[in-house]
Amino acid sequence: MLALWALMLLFIIYPLGALLLRTVFEDGSFSAAPLLAAVQNPNNLRALRNSLVLALMVGFAGTLVGLVFAFTVERAGLGRRAAKLIDLATFLPLISPPFTTSIAFVFSFGPRGLITYDLLGIGNAKVYGFTSTFAAETFTYFPIAYLALRPMIASIGTSLEEAAFSLGGSRWHIFRTVTLPLILPGLANAFLLLFGCSLADFATPLILSGSDFPVLPTEAYLQITGLFDLKSGAILSLLLLAPAGVVYYAQERLVAGRSYVTVTGKAAASGKLDSVSHAARFGLIALCLFVTVAILYFYALLFCASIVMAFGANHTLTLAHYHVIFTEGLPAIRQTLIIALIGMPLGGLYGIVVGYLVGRTRFTGRRAMELISMLNYALPGTIVGIAYLLAFNDKPFALTGTALIIVACYVFRYSPTGIRTTIALLQQIDRSMEEASTSLGANRFTTFRRVMLPLILPAFFAGLGVVFIRSMTAISATIFLVSIDWTLITVKILENMTEVALGPAAAFSVFVIVVVLAVSGLLNGALRYLTAPNLRVSKIGT
Amino acid sequence: MATQPLGIRLEALSAVFRHERRGDVTAVDKLDLDIRPGELLTLLGASGCGKTTTLRMIAGFQPPSSGRIRFGEQDVTDLPANRRDIGFVFQNYALFPHLSVFENVAYGLRVKGIGHDEIVRRVGEGLEQVGLSGFGERMITELSGGQQQRVALARAIAIRPRVLLFDEPLSNLDAKLRVQMRGEIARLQRELAITTVYVTHDQEEAMAISHRIAIMSEGRIAQIGTAEDLYQRPVSAFVAGFLGGANLVDCTVREVGAGSAVLDVDGLRWSLETPATLSRGQRVRAVVRPEALELARDGDGLACQIESMVYLGARAEYLIRSGERCFQVVVSNPVSNRLFQSGEAVVLRLPGRNVALLAQH
Ligand SMILES: Nc1ncnc2c1ncn2[C@@H]1O[C@H](COP(=O)(O)OP(=O)(O)O)[C@@H](O)[C@H]1O
Ligand SMILES: [Mg+2]
Repeated sequence: MLALWALMLLFIIYPLGALLLRTVFEDGSFSAAPLLAAVQNPNNLRALRNSLVLALMVGFAGTLVGLVFAFTVERAGLGRRAAKLIDLATFLPLISPPFTTSIAFVFSFGPRGLITYDLLGIGNAKVYGFTSTFAAETFTYFPIAYLALRPMIASIGTSLEEAAFSLGGSRWHIFRTVTLPLILPGLANAFLLLFGCSLADFATPLILSGSDFPVLPTEAYLQITGLFDLKSGAILSLLLLAPAGVVYYAQERLVAGRSYVTVTGKAAASGKLDSVSHAARFGLIALCLFVTVAILYFYALLFCASIVMAFGANHTLTLAHYHVIFTEGLPAIRQTLIIALIGMPLGGLYGIVVGYLVGRTRFTGRRAMELISMLNYALPGTIVGIAYLLAFNDKPFALTGTALIIVACYVFRYSPTGIRTTIALLQQIDRSMEEASTSLGANRFTTFRRVMLPLILPAFFAGLGVVFIRSMTAISATIFLVSIDWTLITVKILENMTEVALGPAAAFSVFVIVVVLAVSGLLNGALRYLTAPNLRVSKIGT
Repeated sequence: MATQPLGIRLEALSAVFRHERRGDVTAVDKLDLDIRPGELLTLLGASGCGKTTTLRMIAGFQPPSSGRIRFGEQDVTDLPANRRDIGFVFQNYALFPHLSVFENVAYGLRVKGIGHDEIVRRVGEGLEQVGLSGFGERMITELSGGQQQRVALARAIAIRPRVLLFDEPLSNLDAKLRVQMRGEIARLQRELAITTVYVTHDQEEAMAISHRIAIMSEGRIAQIGTAEDLYQRPVSAFVAGFLGGANLVDCTVREVGAGSAVLDVDGLRWSLETPATLSRGQRVRAVVRPEALELARDGDGLACQIESMVYLGARAEYLIRSGERCFQVVVSNPVSNRLFQSGEAVVLRLPGRNVALLAQH
């Protein structure tokens, strides 16, 4: 327990403290001047405004698309094959490296893009700017809204809608007066999730927004890596803190405020219901299929780009790009895998230990531990990355340039999923389960090992999965932490993109997706093997 | 199993819960209780009267705020639950969902480090005792509620505990199964002769299986005794009203004899046998069970009028009135007696014996 507190102090509190101190101390004395200057700087204000506008738009659009998907899947009576396609299209963006959509956008809509140049014959298409950033982020993040909304729509149950229908309401009227009010808090939650994702997104704007549309995370990055101005970067990242904090607070209120899932019996077999009229059903399905096909097209494009000489110019099949990534790129691959494989078990373990302590035991500071454990997760990656950079640059904890700092960043940033899953599972396990074990003579440790551990195993595997996937795909925080000795595939992809070596970038992305899919599959298999059939509940995803 | 059953002793046992808003809640209030070796004692009471809390303190799941708990000569108050050697059967069964039936029953034996062959033998024996031989390989979710209840029972007795504790074990079963299971629990308890504390709010269940019943109210024991004791000789209006129906008849002692008395009920002479020591002029409250009353068309008795009648086949339940007084009357076999309709005038005959008299203040 003490060790746990020490670790949380070192890897969560201390870096944030270092970041805050750095921004308000100048030459050893307190001064808010730099902070104020930054707030008044028109360039920074513009970046802040852009960030907020982008996040707002992505929040709205993504929630809407997510809602359409969730409603269509639950209520429009899709065929099995269409449902499978939608599953795939909503799953892929969640496990892909961050540049995937951006690369596909460049290939599609760039100066020599498949759609703009080859199809429409536009010679000098401008892909960089707000519109494509917005579209790419919406495509990337709407699955989060979909996953959040779908169980809610399912749980509302059609009996409620049928009741309203029997009272003579029209379908649209019922949707507006019954279904919509019930899922409104869910929509708000989905919006906040997407707002947060977009606000913190670093990779998409870096590739797509160009110089016309600077946003905070990219500006902070350019200050630090381009101008070596750590302090300005730190201050810029702090400008993100206010909106991120508001989002986090609003979300906590929303979740704590009320339980907004009404469970009115199980949803009847979908397909039979008449929740939507014929025309509406057709429209919904068409819309979903359009988005689905677009996403699958992006991934197909990515794959094609990885196996041709130069996409858009020379379409000769080749394995050259894969050759590049497995020779020149091999160190990055090896290092990423080592980091992911070390971080995975540590993160999984940390997740269930903290989850168990917070969810099942009583001690002073329990609530504090829960809040602190969520901190690095709730903050935008740019803040966390810069904080780590500042904190671990010098003694007493000079970790910059080591693998440890990257592993620690991933573990403390991405374990909260495991923690939350553990807490949620524990809430379903009655206390009498432990008491039964105790009454049969087992001590606390035996009880934990033989009863509780098997029951929260799904949470452990969920934790493993998320930490691994994020270790393979995240960049916003760790871009500040890589070094000559320890670098990451995602950073390599970025380098390739800036050198306009799009082929290797595509090959790297395909490689990451394949590895992540394989490891997720393995983890799911292991979980299925290890747990009793009746406990196979949660699937590993994000 | 040559070990002697042991008695349990609760001495001034209290449990106080701290509530942020409601202040302190005293769930169990200086409770004294002697449970005899090998007996099945039921804690009976309305919801919230402290039964579960008492049982959990005996089990060691919850430390008492004050007081002592003894198993035989041993003071177990500070002994953790896993060293008390108890078997606990939970209301929700609390079976381990990730283990098979066999492994559930074997759990306590494995924890004790018992050898494989012995475990197989004893699990087999336990499953046989609850009528589940051959179910060992099933998963818990593949069992019905009643079967799960049996597994919970087998798991509790497999470790051959010194004390068996049940917390409303049958409340999740349907009525028919409840009657069947309570019979099996009673049979098994008699067979194993393990000292048992059983918690329920169902008076019929309590009367059916217990050696003795302790009726609880507001964290204390209102009365303890056999089912017959409690029904025939309640010491308070609360106990009288809690166990079965009761008419509380306020009256005055008119004459006192040896082992008998004559009471005055609204001017009517009511002579009855009673062991109570009474004095003339004393106000008493008689507890008269509805089935002890008789209705007649005419003759001696209290003149009454039928307020309502409910016909239930095997019996008829009447509510009758005489001036300010109301009586519940149950007539069994109503067909061969006679059915009275509401509004009819009847004569109520008071019984001449088996009436408990409570002092009135
Ligand atoms: N863990 C607890 N925290 C606070 N109050 C409790 C707790 N357990 C029981 N109580 C209170 O103690 C009283 C007795 O509860 P309990 O023993 O469960 O009653 P019973 O089992 O007879 O229904 C109730 O008022 C209940 O609200
Ligand atoms: Mg209870």
